[in-house]
Amino acid sequence: MRKIFLIIAFITAIISNVPGQGIGSPGTIKDDGRFTASTKQLNQFFRRFNGEESVDGTVRYYPGDSLYRNIPLRKGFLNILFDNQTSSLSPDLKNQFIQTTLSEVYPHYLNFHREGWYAEVETIFVFKGKREKATLIMKIQSEGLGYEWVIDQVIFEPFKNLFNKPVGEQKDFLHPLSHELGFMNLRRAFQDSNLPESFTANSYKPDYLAIFLYEMKQNNLRFETVSGLKFHFFQIQGWYFEVNQFNRPGFNTGWLISNLVRLGPGDKETILKYIYDQE
Amino acid sequence: MKNKFILFLGLFLSASVAVMAQDNISPARKQAIDSLALEKVKDLSKYISIIGSKETQFSEANRVMDRAEELFAPGAEMGVSSINTQEIAYYKVRRYFERLMALNYDRVNITWYDIQYISDLERQPDGRYVGVITVYQRFEGTSIETGMNYKDTTKKDITIYVEKKQTQIAGRTIEFWDVMLGDVRVTETSA
Repeated sequence: MRKIFLIIAFITAIISNVPGQGIGSPGTIKDDGRFTASTKQLNQFFRRFNGEESVDGTVRYYPGDSLYRNIPLRKGFLNILFDNQTSSLSPDLKNQFIQTTLSEVYPHYLNFHREGWYAEVETIFVFKGKREKATLIMKIQSEGLGYEWVIDQVIFEPFKNLFNKPVGEQKDFLHPLSHELGFMNLRRAFQDSNLPESFTANSYKPDYLAIFLYEMKQNNLRFETVSGLKFHFFQIQGWYFEVNQFNRPGFNTGWLISNLVRLGPGDKETILKYIYDQE
Repeated sequence: MKNKFILFLGLFLSASVAVMAQDNISPARKQAIDSLALEKVKDLSKYISIIGSKETQFSEANRVMDRAEELFAPGAEMGVSSINTQEIAYYKVRRYFERLMALNYDRVNITWYDIQYISDLERQPDGRYVGVITVYQRFEGTSIETGMNYKDTTKKDITIYVEKKQTQIAGRTIEFWDVMLGDVRVTETSA
Protein backbone atom coordinates (compact mmCIF):
# COMPACT_ATOMS: atom_id res chain seq x y z
CA MET A 1 0.00 0.00 0.00
CA ARG A 2 2.82 2.31 1.03
CA LYS A 3 4.63 1.44 -2.19
CA ILE A 4 1.63 2.28 -4.38
CA PHE A 5 1.38 5.59 -2.58
CA LEU A 6 5.07 6.24 -3.25
CA ILE A 7 4.69 5.46 -6.97
CA ILE A 8 1.61 7.72 -7.25
CA ALA A 9 3.48 10.47 -5.38
CA PHE A 10 6.43 10.12 -7.75
CA ILE A 11 4.30 10.26 -10.89
CA THR A 12 2.43 13.23 -9.44
CA ALA A 13 5.79 14.91 -8.84
CA ILE A 14 6.72 14.25 -12.47
CA ILE A 15 3.44 15.71 -13.72
CA SER A 16 3.65 18.78 -11.51
CA ASN A 17 7.18 19.35 -12.75
CA VAL A 18 6.21 19.52 -16.41
CA PRO A 19 8.64 22.03 -17.89
CA GLY A 20 7.33 25.35 -19.05
CA GLN A 21 9.73 25.88 -21.91
CA GLY A 22 9.08 24.09 -25.15
CA ILE A 23 10.68 23.87 -28.54
CA GLY A 24 8.09 25.99 -30.21
CA SER A 25 6.82 29.47 -29.88
CA PRO A 26 3.42 30.20 -28.32
CA GLY A 27 0.91 27.60 -29.40
CA THR A 28 2.84 24.63 -28.11
CA ILE A 29 0.77 21.88 -26.57
CA LYS A 30 1.17 21.41 -22.85
CA ASP A 31 2.18 17.88 -21.97
CA ASP A 32 -0.24 16.40 -19.44
CA GLY A 33 2.68 14.57 -17.87
CA ARG A 34 2.61 11.43 -19.99
CA PHE A 35 5.62 12.33 -22.12
CA THR A 36 7.48 13.61 -19.09
CA ALA A 37 6.81 10.34 -17.28
CA SER A 38 7.78 8.22 -20.29
CA THR A 39 11.35 6.89 -20.32
CA LYS A 40 11.96 8.47 -23.71
CA GLN A 41 15.48 7.30 -24.48
CA LEU A 42 17.63 4.44 -23.25
CA ASN A 43 19.92 7.24 -22.07
CA GLN A 44 17.10 8.32 -19.76
CA PHE A 45 16.73 4.71 -18.57
CA PHE A 46 20.40 4.81 -17.52
CA ARG A 47 20.07 8.20 -15.84
CA ARG A 48 16.87 7.29 -14.01
CA PHE A 49 18.26 3.92 -12.95
CA ASN A 50 21.34 5.62 -11.52
CA GLY A 51 19.53 8.66 -10.11
CA GLU A 52 21.44 11.10 -12.30
CA GLU A 53 18.70 13.49 -13.40
CA SER A 54 15.82 15.46 -11.93
CA VAL A 55 12.35 13.99 -11.69
CA ASP A 56 11.21 15.80 -14.85
CA GLY A 57 14.44 15.01 -16.73
CA THR A 58 15.38 18.63 -17.38
CA VAL A 59 18.40 18.74 -15.06
CA ARG A 60 21.35 16.37 -15.36
CA TYR A 61 23.01 15.65 -12.01
CA TYR A 62 26.79 15.26 -11.92
CA PRO A 63 29.15 14.03 -9.18
CA GLY A 64 29.18 16.72 -6.51
CA ASP A 65 25.51 17.70 -6.98
CA SER A 66 23.54 17.06 -3.79
CA LEU A 67 20.95 14.87 -5.52
CA TYR A 68 23.44 12.90 -7.64
CA ARG A 69 22.60 9.21 -7.14
CA ASN A 70 20.37 10.17 -4.21
CA ILE A 71 18.75 7.02 -2.78
CA PRO A 72 15.10 8.26 -2.42
CA LEU A 73 15.33 9.71 -5.95
CA ARG A 74 16.62 6.39 -7.30
CA LYS A 75 13.93 4.49 -5.41
CA GLY A 76 11.23 6.61 -7.02
CA PHE A 77 12.73 6.11 -10.46
CA LEU A 78 13.30 2.36 -10.07
CA ASN A 79 9.65 1.83 -9.20
CA ILE A 80 8.54 3.40 -12.47
CA LEU A 81 11.18 1.68 -14.62
CA PHE A 82 9.27 -1.60 -14.71
CA ASP A 83 6.60 -2.51 -17.24
CA ASN A 84 3.70 -2.66 -14.79
CA GLN A 85 1.02 -3.47 -17.33
CA THR A 86 1.96 -6.52 -19.37
CA SER A 87 4.96 -8.18 -17.75
CA SER A 88 4.11 -10.53 -14.94
CA LEU A 89 7.02 -9.74 -12.65
CA SER A 90 6.31 -10.63 -9.04
CA PRO A 91 6.34 -7.65 -6.64
CA ASP A 92 8.59 -9.68 -4.34
CA LEU A 93 11.21 -10.21 -7.07
CA LYS A 94 11.10 -6.50 -7.99
CA ASN A 95 11.56 -5.54 -4.33
CA GLN A 96 14.56 -7.83 -3.97
CA PHE A 97 16.09 -6.34 -7.10
CA ILE A 98 15.49 -2.77 -5.91
CA GLN A 99 16.94 -3.59 -2.49
CA THR A 100 20.08 -5.10 -4.07
CA THR A 101 20.45 -2.14 -6.41
CA LEU A 102 19.99 0.48 -3.69
CA SER A 103 22.13 -1.29 -1.06
CA GLU A 104 23.69 1.38 1.16
CA VAL A 105 26.84 -0.69 1.55
CA TYR A 106 27.28 -1.68 -2.08
CA PRO A 107 24.90 0.15 -4.41
CA HIS A 108 24.77 -0.98 -8.05
CA TYR A 109 24.75 1.30 -11.08
CA LEU A 110 24.54 0.88 -14.81
CA ASN A 111 27.52 1.98 -16.84
CA PHE A 112 27.10 2.84 -20.52
CA HIS A 113 30.72 2.09 -21.39
CA ARG A 114 31.17 -1.07 -19.35
CA GLU A 115 30.63 -4.58 -20.74
CA GLY A 116 27.58 -6.56 -19.73
CA TRP A 117 24.78 -5.17 -21.84
CA TYR A 118 23.68 -6.02 -25.36
CA ALA A 119 21.25 -4.81 -27.98
CA GLU A 120 19.15 -7.36 -29.83
CA VAL A 121 18.13 -5.82 -33.15
CA GLU A 122 15.48 -7.43 -35.34
CA THR A 123 16.14 -6.65 -38.98
CA ILE A 124 14.83 -7.61 -42.40
CA PHE A 125 17.20 -8.56 -45.21
CA VAL A 126 16.52 -9.76 -48.72
CA PHE A 127 18.50 -12.97 -49.17
CA LYS A 128 18.68 -14.35 -52.69
CA GLY A 129 15.46 -12.52 -53.56
CA LYS A 130 13.50 -13.54 -50.45
CA ARG A 131 12.64 -11.36 -47.42
CA GLU A 132 14.19 -12.89 -44.32
CA LYS A 133 14.48 -11.87 -40.65
CA ALA A 134 17.94 -11.54 -39.14
CA THR A 135 18.67 -10.88 -35.48
CA LEU A 136 21.83 -8.92 -34.73
CA ILE A 137 23.38 -9.08 -31.28
CA MET A 138 25.28 -5.84 -30.78
CA LYS A 139 27.52 -4.41 -28.10
CA ILE A 140 29.42 -1.20 -27.33
CA GLN A 141 33.21 -1.17 -27.71
CA SER A 142 35.85 1.50 -27.45
CA GLU A 143 37.47 2.48 -30.73
CA GLY A 144 39.69 5.35 -31.79
CA LEU A 145 38.81 8.45 -29.78
CA GLY A 146 35.47 7.18 -28.57
CA TYR A 147 33.00 4.31 -28.71
CA GLU A 148 30.97 2.44 -31.31
CA TRP A 149 28.26 -0.22 -31.55
CA VAL A 150 29.47 -3.40 -33.22
CA ILE A 151 27.82 -6.62 -34.40
CA ASP A 152 28.82 -9.50 -32.14
CA GLN A 153 26.64 -12.22 -33.62
CA VAL A 154 23.95 -12.79 -36.21
CA ILE A 155 21.08 -15.24 -35.99
CA PHE A 156 19.81 -15.96 -39.47
CA GLU A 157 17.32 -18.74 -40.14
CA PRO A 158 18.56 -19.69 -43.65
CA PHE A 159 21.98 -20.48 -42.14
CA LYS A 160 20.56 -22.58 -39.31
CA ASN A 161 20.57 -25.91 -41.16
CA LEU A 162 23.49 -25.08 -43.38
CA PHE A 163 25.78 -27.14 -41.19
CA ASN A 164 24.37 -30.30 -39.75
CA LYS A 165 27.33 -32.32 -38.64
CA PRO A 166 26.55 -35.96 -37.90
CA VAL A 167 28.33 -37.58 -34.97
CA GLY A 168 29.50 -41.04 -33.90
CA GLU A 169 29.58 -44.13 -36.05
CA GLN A 170 27.00 -42.85 -38.56
CA LYS A 171 29.17 -40.08 -39.88
CA ASP A 172 31.51 -40.07 -42.88
CA PHE A 173 35.14 -39.84 -41.90
CA LEU A 174 38.69 -39.95 -43.15
CA HIS A 175 40.16 -43.13 -41.75
CA PRO A 176 43.08 -42.84 -39.34
CA LEU A 177 45.70 -44.06 -41.82
CA SER A 178 44.71 -41.58 -44.54
CA HIS A 179 48.07 -39.89 -44.11
CA GLU A 180 49.84 -42.99 -45.41
CA LEU A 181 48.02 -42.47 -48.72
CA GLY A 182 48.91 -38.82 -48.88
CA PHE A 183 45.26 -37.97 -48.06
CA MET A 184 44.17 -39.04 -51.51
CA ASN A 185 40.80 -39.91 -49.95
CA LEU A 186 40.00 -36.22 -49.41
CA ARG A 187 38.06 -36.74 -52.60
CA ARG A 188 35.43 -38.41 -50.37
CA ALA A 189 35.14 -35.28 -48.28
CA PHE A 190 35.02 -32.72 -51.00
CA GLN A 191 33.42 -34.51 -53.97
CA ASP A 192 31.38 -37.43 -52.78
CA SER A 193 29.89 -36.01 -49.55
CA ASN A 194 27.03 -33.54 -49.18
CA LEU A 195 28.12 -32.91 -45.60
CA PRO A 196 31.72 -31.77 -45.81
CA GLU A 197 31.36 -30.51 -42.21
CA SER A 198 31.55 -34.21 -41.23
CA PHE A 199 35.28 -33.94 -41.70
CA THR A 200 35.83 -31.12 -39.23
CA ALA A 201 37.11 -31.28 -35.66
CA ASN A 202 34.79 -31.83 -32.70
CA SER A 203 35.49 -28.26 -31.62
CA TYR A 204 34.38 -26.79 -34.97
CA LYS A 205 31.71 -24.11 -34.71
CA PRO A 206 30.48 -22.35 -37.83
CA ASP A 207 31.01 -18.59 -37.80
CA TYR A 208 27.60 -17.41 -39.01
CA LEU A 209 28.60 -13.76 -38.87
CA ALA A 210 31.49 -14.44 -41.27
CA ILE A 211 29.11 -16.20 -43.69
CA PHE A 212 26.59 -13.37 -43.31
CA LEU A 213 29.19 -10.75 -44.17
CA TYR A 214 30.49 -12.86 -47.04
CA GLU A 215 27.00 -13.19 -48.53
CA MET A 216 26.57 -9.44 -48.19
CA LYS A 217 29.83 -8.83 -50.02
CA GLN A 218 28.65 -11.21 -52.75
CA ASN A 219 25.48 -9.06 -53.08
CA ASN A 220 23.30 -12.01 -52.06
CA LEU A 221 22.13 -10.15 -48.93
CA ARG A 222 20.61 -6.69 -48.98
CA PHE A 223 19.59 -4.78 -45.85
CA GLU A 224 15.99 -3.61 -45.91
CA THR A 225 14.91 -2.33 -42.51
CA VAL A 226 14.92 -2.59 -38.72
CA SER A 227 11.79 -4.12 -37.23
CA GLY A 228 12.48 -4.37 -33.50
CA LEU A 229 14.88 -3.68 -30.67
CA LYS A 230 15.42 -4.74 -27.08
CA PHE A 231 18.30 -4.69 -24.60
CA HIS A 232 19.76 -7.31 -22.28
CA PHE A 233 21.55 -6.26 -19.08
CA PHE A 234 23.90 -8.31 -16.90
CA GLN A 235 25.56 -5.36 -15.18
CA ILE A 236 23.79 -5.72 -11.85
CA GLN A 237 25.61 -8.50 -10.06
CA GLY A 238 23.42 -11.58 -9.63
CA TRP A 239 20.65 -10.27 -11.88
CA TYR A 240 19.60 -10.26 -15.51
CA PHE A 241 16.96 -7.98 -16.95
CA GLU A 242 15.53 -7.17 -20.35
CA VAL A 243 14.49 -3.68 -21.45
CA ASN A 244 11.82 -3.16 -24.11
CA GLN A 245 10.11 -0.13 -25.55
CA PHE A 246 6.41 0.26 -24.70
CA ASN A 247 4.51 2.57 -27.01
CA ARG A 248 1.02 2.75 -25.51
CA PRO A 249 -1.31 5.22 -23.83
CA GLY A 250 -0.74 6.11 -20.18
CA PHE A 251 2.17 6.93 -17.93
CA ASN A 252 4.01 3.59 -17.87
CA THR A 253 5.64 3.91 -21.29
CA GLY A 254 8.99 4.10 -23.07
CA TRP A 255 12.01 1.94 -22.23
CA LEU A 256 11.04 -0.31 -19.31
CA ILE A 257 12.18 -3.53 -17.65
CA SER A 258 10.03 -6.32 -19.05
CA ASN A 259 11.85 -9.36 -17.73
CA LEU A 260 13.83 -9.86 -14.54
CA VAL A 261 15.73 -12.95 -13.43
CA ARG A 262 17.72 -13.60 -10.28
CA LEU A 263 20.84 -15.43 -11.43
CA GLY A 264 22.06 -18.62 -9.81
CA PRO A 265 25.40 -20.26 -10.61
CA GLY A 266 25.67 -20.88 -14.38
CA ASP A 267 22.44 -19.00 -15.20
CA LYS A 268 24.24 -16.09 -16.83
CA GLU A 269 26.02 -18.38 -19.28
CA THR A 270 22.75 -20.21 -20.03
CA ILE A 271 20.89 -16.95 -20.76
CA LEU A 272 23.78 -15.64 -22.86
CA LYS A 273 23.79 -18.86 -24.88
CA TYR A 274 20.06 -18.48 -25.36
CA ILE A 275 20.42 -14.85 -26.51
CA TYR A 276 23.22 -15.79 -28.86
CA ASP A 277 21.06 -18.68 -30.11
CA GLN A 278 23.69 -21.28 -29.39
CA GLU A 279 21.53 -23.63 -27.32
CA MET B 1 33.89 43.79 -47.77
CA LYS B 2 36.24 43.00 -44.92
CA ASN B 3 33.83 44.60 -42.43
CA LYS B 4 30.97 42.53 -43.81
CA PHE B 5 33.04 39.40 -43.47
CA ILE B 6 33.88 40.16 -39.85
CA LEU B 7 30.21 40.94 -39.12
CA PHE B 8 29.15 37.65 -40.70
CA LEU B 9 31.77 35.77 -38.74
CA GLY B 10 30.65 37.48 -35.54
CA LEU B 11 27.06 36.46 -36.14
CA PHE B 12 28.16 32.93 -36.96
CA LEU B 13 30.17 32.64 -33.78
CA SER B 14 27.40 34.09 -31.67
CA ALA B 15 25.40 31.00 -32.62
CA SER B 16 28.26 28.81 -31.56
CA VAL B 17 29.97 28.25 -28.26
CA ALA B 18 33.48 29.64 -28.06
CA VAL B 19 35.76 27.51 -25.94
CA MET B 20 39.31 27.06 -24.83
CA ALA B 21 41.39 24.35 -26.45
CA GLN B 22 40.35 21.18 -24.65
CA ASP B 23 38.46 18.04 -25.60
CA ASN B 24 36.45 17.15 -22.52
CA ILE B 25 32.98 18.57 -22.26
CA SER B 26 32.28 19.99 -18.81
CA PRO B 27 28.71 20.15 -17.44
CA ALA B 28 28.62 23.91 -18.08
CA ARG B 29 29.79 23.49 -21.66
CA LYS B 30 27.35 20.61 -22.15
CA GLN B 31 24.57 22.96 -21.12
CA ALA B 32 25.74 25.58 -23.63
CA ILE B 33 25.93 22.94 -26.37
CA ASP B 34 22.45 21.68 -25.41
CA SER B 35 21.09 25.22 -25.85
CA LEU B 36 22.74 25.55 -29.24
CA ALA B 37 21.44 22.12 -30.33
CA LEU B 38 17.98 23.00 -29.06
CA GLU B 39 18.04 26.18 -31.15
CA LYS B 40 18.69 24.07 -34.24
CA VAL B 41 15.87 21.70 -33.30
CA LYS B 42 13.58 24.71 -32.78
CA ASP B 43 14.55 25.95 -36.24
CA LEU B 44 13.79 22.54 -37.69
CA SER B 45 10.40 22.46 -35.91
CA LYS B 46 9.59 25.91 -37.28
CA TYR B 47 10.60 24.89 -40.81
CA ILE B 48 8.54 21.67 -40.62
CA SER B 49 5.48 23.70 -39.57
CA ILE B 50 6.00 26.14 -42.48
CA ILE B 51 6.63 23.40 -45.07
CA GLY B 52 3.57 21.46 -43.88
CA SER B 53 1.26 24.49 -43.86
CA LYS B 54 -1.14 24.77 -46.81
CA GLU B 55 -0.84 28.55 -46.64
CA THR B 56 2.82 28.42 -47.62
CA GLN B 57 3.49 29.25 -51.27
CA PHE B 58 5.37 26.63 -53.30
CA SER B 59 8.40 28.88 -53.86
CA GLU B 60 8.53 29.84 -50.18
CA ALA B 61 8.26 26.18 -49.13
CA ASN B 62 11.18 25.34 -51.40
CA ARG B 63 13.24 28.15 -49.91
CA VAL B 64 12.44 26.91 -46.38
CA MET B 65 13.32 23.35 -47.40
CA ASP B 66 16.75 24.62 -48.47
CA ARG B 67 17.20 26.31 -45.08
CA ALA B 68 16.00 23.17 -43.26
CA GLU B 69 18.36 20.95 -45.26
CA GLU B 70 21.28 23.16 -44.22
CA LEU B 71 20.71 22.15 -40.58
CA PHE B 72 21.59 18.56 -41.41
CA ALA B 73 24.85 16.73 -41.94
CA PRO B 74 25.17 15.33 -45.50
CA GLY B 75 23.31 12.06 -46.08
CA ALA B 76 21.01 12.40 -43.06
CA GLU B 77 17.85 10.33 -43.24
CA MET B 78 14.43 10.24 -41.62
CA GLY B 79 13.35 6.78 -40.42
CA VAL B 80 9.58 6.60 -40.05
CA SER B 81 7.44 3.91 -38.42
CA SER B 82 3.79 3.71 -37.45
CA ILE B 83 1.90 2.06 -34.61
CA ASN B 84 0.83 -0.76 -36.93
CA THR B 85 4.32 -1.66 -38.07
CA GLN B 86 7.63 -1.20 -36.33
CA GLU B 87 9.43 -1.54 -39.65
CA ILE B 88 11.25 1.66 -40.55
CA ALA B 89 10.69 3.43 -43.87
CA TYR B 90 13.73 5.52 -44.83
CA TYR B 91 13.61 8.91 -46.54
CA LYS B 92 16.34 11.36 -47.38
CA VAL B 93 15.68 14.60 -45.49
CA ARG B 94 14.72 16.51 -48.65
CA ARG B 95 12.38 13.73 -49.78
CA TYR B 96 10.71 13.74 -46.34
CA PHE B 97 10.06 17.49 -46.60
CA GLU B 98 8.74 17.10 -50.15
CA ARG B 99 6.34 14.38 -49.02
CA LEU B 100 5.22 16.59 -46.13
CA MET B 101 4.57 19.46 -48.55
CA ALA B 102 2.63 17.23 -50.96
CA LEU B 103 0.24 15.79 -48.35
CA ASN B 104 -3.27 15.83 -49.70
CA TYR B 105 -5.07 17.83 -47.02
CA ASP B 106 -6.79 21.19 -47.36
CA ARG B 107 -5.75 22.23 -43.89
CA VAL B 108 -2.69 21.09 -42.02
CA ASN B 109 -1.81 22.07 -38.48
CA ILE B 110 1.55 21.06 -37.01
CA THR B 111 2.22 21.87 -33.38
CA TRP B 112 4.82 20.78 -30.86
CA TYR B 113 4.62 19.64 -27.25
CA ASP B 114 6.32 21.77 -24.62
CA ILE B 115 8.72 19.00 -23.75
CA GLN B 116 12.10 17.82 -24.94
CA TYR B 117 14.69 15.41 -23.68
CA ILE B 118 18.39 15.84 -24.32
CA SER B 119 20.74 12.89 -23.97
CA ASP B 120 24.34 12.89 -22.79
CA LEU B 121 26.98 13.45 -25.43
CA GLU B 122 29.05 10.40 -26.35
CA ARG B 123 32.30 10.53 -28.22
CA GLN B 124 32.61 8.64 -31.51
CA PRO B 125 35.77 6.95 -32.80
CA ASP B 126 36.44 10.01 -35.04
CA GLY B 127 36.46 12.35 -32.03
CA ARG B 128 33.13 14.03 -32.78
CA TYR B 129 30.43 13.89 -30.13
CA VAL B 130 26.94 12.56 -30.74
CA GLY B 131 23.72 13.07 -28.82
CA VAL B 132 19.97 12.68 -29.30
CA ILE B 133 17.20 15.21 -28.67
CA THR B 134 13.66 13.89 -28.35
CA VAL B 135 10.67 16.08 -29.16
CA TYR B 136 6.98 15.39 -29.77
CA GLN B 137 4.94 16.71 -32.70
CA ARG B 138 1.16 16.86 -33.17
CA PHE B 139 -0.11 16.67 -36.77
CA GLU B 140 -3.66 17.43 -37.82
CA GLY B 141 -4.81 17.27 -41.44
CA THR B 142 -8.31 18.01 -42.71
CA SER B 143 -9.76 17.23 -46.11
CA ILE B 144 -12.80 19.44 -46.87
CA GLU B 145 -14.09 17.25 -49.71
CA THR B 146 -14.17 13.99 -47.77
CA GLY B 147 -14.56 15.57 -44.35
CA MET B 148 -11.72 13.36 -43.19
CA ASN B 149 -9.74 14.56 -40.23
CA TYR B 150 -6.43 12.80 -39.59
CA LYS B 151 -4.48 13.31 -36.35
CA ASP B 152 -1.31 11.79 -35.02
CA THR B 153 1.39 12.45 -32.46
CA THR B 154 4.93 11.50 -33.37
CA LYS B 155 8.05 11.22 -31.29
CA LYS B 156 11.08 12.57 -33.07
CA ASP B 157 14.51 11.39 -31.90
CA ILE B 158 16.96 13.74 -33.57
CA THR B 159 20.68 12.95 -33.79
CA ILE B 160 23.00 15.86 -33.08
CA TYR B 161 26.68 15.88 -34.01
CA VAL B 162 28.90 18.16 -31.99
CA GLU B 163 32.29 19.03 -33.35
CA LYS B 164 35.04 21.39 -32.29
CA LYS B 165 36.02 23.69 -35.12
CA GLN B 166 38.49 26.50 -35.58
CA THR B 167 38.34 29.83 -37.31
CA GLN B 168 40.65 32.81 -37.69
CA ILE B 169 39.52 36.23 -36.53
CA ALA B 170 41.92 39.14 -36.88
CA GLY B 171 44.85 36.72 -36.89
CA ARG B 172 43.70 34.89 -33.80
CA THR B 173 42.59 31.25 -33.86
CA ILE B 174 39.26 30.83 -32.15
CA GLU B 175 37.85 27.43 -31.35
CA PHE B 176 34.14 26.81 -31.10
CA TRP B 177 31.71 23.90 -30.89
CA ASP B 178 29.43 23.51 -33.88
CA VAL B 179 26.24 21.45 -33.97
CA MET B 180 24.75 19.65 -36.97
CA LEU B 181 21.59 17.56 -37.07
CA GLY B 182 21.80 13.96 -38.25
CA ASP B 183 19.39 11.05 -38.75
CA VAL B 184 15.91 11.48 -37.30
CA ARG B 185 13.80 8.59 -36.05
CA VAL B 186 10.10 9.36 -36.34
CA THR B 187 7.81 7.08 -34.31
CA GLU B 188 4.05 7.35 -34.19
CA THR B 189 2.91 7.29 -30.58
CA SER B 190 -0.31 6.08 -29.00
CA ALA B 191 -0.96 9.47 -27.40
